[in-house]
Amino acid sequence: MRKVACIGAGMTLFWRRLQETGKEMCWEAASMALDQAGLTLKDIDMVVLGSAPDAFDGIHMKGENLLDGAGGAKKPYMRVFTGGGTAVFTPIAAWWHIASGLANKVLVLCEEKMSSVFPHPQSAFGHIWDPILDRPLKPNLVWIFAMEMNRYMTKHGIKKEDIARIAVKNKRNAVDHPCAQLPDPNITVEDVLNSEVMAWPVQRLDISPPSDGASALVKTSEKVAKKVSDDIAWVEGTGWCIDKTMWTCRDLVFPEYVARAAKQAYRMAKIDNPRKQIHVAEPYDPFDYKECHHTEGLLLCDKGKAPSMTKEGITYRDGDLPICPSGGLLGVGNPIAATMGIKAGEIYWQLTQQAGKRQVKNDPEVGVCQAWGDLMQYGSVLVMRRG
Amino acid sequence: MTFLERSRDPEAHKHWYGDMEASYLYSTGIAGEKFFSTLRDKGKITGASCPKCRKVFLPPRMYCEICFSETKNWKDVGKEGTVETYSVGYVGIDGEPLDEPVVYGLIRFPRTEGGLVHVLSVKPEKVKIGMKVKAKLKPKKERKGSILDIASFG
Ligand SMILES: [Zn+2]
Repeated sequence: MRKVACIGAGMTLFWRRLQETGKEMCWEAASMALDQAGLTLKDIDMVVLGSAPDAFDGIHMKGENLLDGAGGAKKPYMRVFTGGGTAVFTPIAAWWHIASGLANKVLVLCEEKMSSVFPHPQSAFGHIWDPILDRPLKPNLVWIFAMEMNRYMTKHGIKKEDIARIAVKNKRNAVDHPCAQLPDPNITVEDVLNSEVMAWPVQRLDISPPSDGASALVKTSEKVAKKVSDDIAWVEGTGWCIDKTMWTCRDLVFPEYVARAAKQAYRMAKIDNPRKQIHVAEPYDPFDYKECHHTEGLLLCDKGKAPSMTKEGITYRDGDLPICPSGGLLGVGNPIAATMGIKAGEIYWQLTQQAGKRQVKNDPEVGVCQAWGDLMQYGSVLVMRRG
Repeated sequence: MTFLERSRDPEAHKHWYGDMEASYLYSTGIAGEKFFSTLRDKGKITGASCPKCRKVFLPPRMYCEICFSETKNWKDVGKEGTVETYSVGYVGIDGEPLDEPVVYGLIRFPRTEGGLVHVLSVKPEKVKIGMKVKAKLKPKKERKGSILDIASFG
């Protein structure tokens, strides 16, 4: 396999309703990433686009609708889709385009326009359930997460306030992100605990807000990267794995599928002690308890111990292992696939010391990002090392 | 490059209303047909077991997802299960507050793989992980061969 570099990243605002269409957002994010990479669309060999269910934008086959804003016309172009996992799976797909030797310069796009479906994207989520077994019960997405969160908290004896602290950390971190939808410099644990109960134990401020947005990366071969860029992060490891179809058949306490994806990526990256060898992490945090779930799945702490890492200050930007320094989905926003900008994009900016006010203090050499999706059972993991 | 104005008002920008018109008729499938007709006619909750792995799957499947054998034997898993986890819902699908909170749970049954998600007819302040609950079936003449033939677990 050939070495693959990331040499540029870009993203739009994450916001409840942007005036831009999906393809316009793609063009904005792609232009930023190309500018940073010092390349133009003419230089690009192949384009990979990721976007989650068509039902959000309300356009079937939206990969084809977004094509021109993604710069894919008359080029080898494909759309990948693993639900929320798309955010990290799309850069993985781009990686194999180059690692295989097929392409030297790939533009990677992720897009989501969730405000098209109204009054709330929940109505689109309503159609992901099994039509025979689940839908007659009128399930609500939040209730299903609430059941998982409850099981996790009960099994490990974790207090709600120790999970709420993660929402506070991320929403405060997001104050330094120029694209953020829900930053709050003054939010407290009490604010989270006093927010509206949606489905116990999930409260309003435990959840990331649905957003519109797009993000982009530029990936190249080693030869191209060394010629055009001084700000290189190498893709060192990739992994992906999925749990069983039926939600009722899964382990709700530990995401084994994330651990399997992480082990695949770590093996490739020659990481045998992730807690020592990884210096910054961006696990998927659509809910505060999911950051805990995923930190444990990424083998960055023992089972049930993720909340205490934040309590002890380890996961802050000046801690030993900063987690979600971008502000995460909880703070910056959750345009499903487009969160690539705050996962893979953030790790790229952190490793190349371009994160500005968000820059972590431990001079990171290696970072990991992870996304989670499909029917709440998919894990995609990407490890990068600074060039 | 500049970003355009932020907005919270869905109608603030020039827009066009539309919908994706489509209706569907879903098959219950081979295993589903058997599961739901047994529930309707005999009032029993049944799982399908793998002849090789001996695991009993609930909801039942036509095949074993572990070894890919066809599931041949059907087992009555009983009506009593344990609450693996639960949630109390206070808002509906569009974020609207519900008149009454709804308790949902995942119920597991002895010696089976999986379980059922269903409404729990237990008061929000009484529900606990690990509690035993029993399926409350609708009267036979009201049963239609759907998951709603079980009125609730409680
Ligand atoms: Zn089997």
